[in-house]
Amino acid sequence: MLFFQSEEALNEWLVSRNARQGAVLSISQLWELSQRWYQDRMSPDYHGRTIQEAQGIFRDLGLTSEFWQAYRLSQN
Amino acid sequence: MDETLLWEIRAFVYRHFANTTQPPSAEETALHFALTHDEVVGAYEELQRRHALFLKPGMPDILMANPFSGLETPFKVHANNKTYFANCAWDSLGIPAALQVDAVIEASCAQTEDLIRLQISDRQIQSSNSLVHFLIPFKDWYDDLVFT
Repeated sequence: MLFFQSEEALNEWLVSRNARQGAVLSISQLWELSQRWYQDRMSPDYHGRTIQEAQGIFRDLGLTSEFWQAYRLSQN
Repeated sequence: MDETLLWEIRAFVYRHFANTTQPPSAEETALHFALTHDEVVGAYEELQRRHALFLKPGMPDILMANPFSGLETPFKVHANNKTYFANCAWDSLGIPAALQVDAVIEASCAQTEDLIRLQISDRQIQSSNSLVHFLIPFKDWYDDLVFT
């Protein structure tokens, strides 16, 4: 996951690498996601999360496009 | 290895990252838990199998325990009077989220290389026009986590 200073910079980067656009988040969206994803990471009780739990986080944050769907992962 | 001990080793690795910005060596972990080097390597490999941490290829050294990186990267996180290194843009916000501390993040635009500086205070992030791009869809993240 990479930072870009603008959409224009991202588009230039995609063209230069002949890459397709994936998912684009604002910084505030990424901060929300980071807090949900990592808030319990330092806990001794954190033993990973299931794919359903991961998808639940994405869904709660409105990340529901195909990009955020898991079709074959069984464990995170 | 006993499940409880395995997860205690994982917690030790994370505490070590938080306290020092670096992962413990296998020797340090062995000393802490009174284990042999081989027992620690076995635990590290089991934790890697469960995606709890990732080792340098062919070595018993921890490469990353998300969001922390064991190597210096372009994603710097200044917090707790230390400089942590994150694995990617997401993980650079993941470090203050995990540690629940204020932080200043210094990274750069992947295209222009201009500095991107983000500040987190009191669990709020300062407004920014920067963007984050995720290239790999979620279903493929663990095909090659280092790349993702």
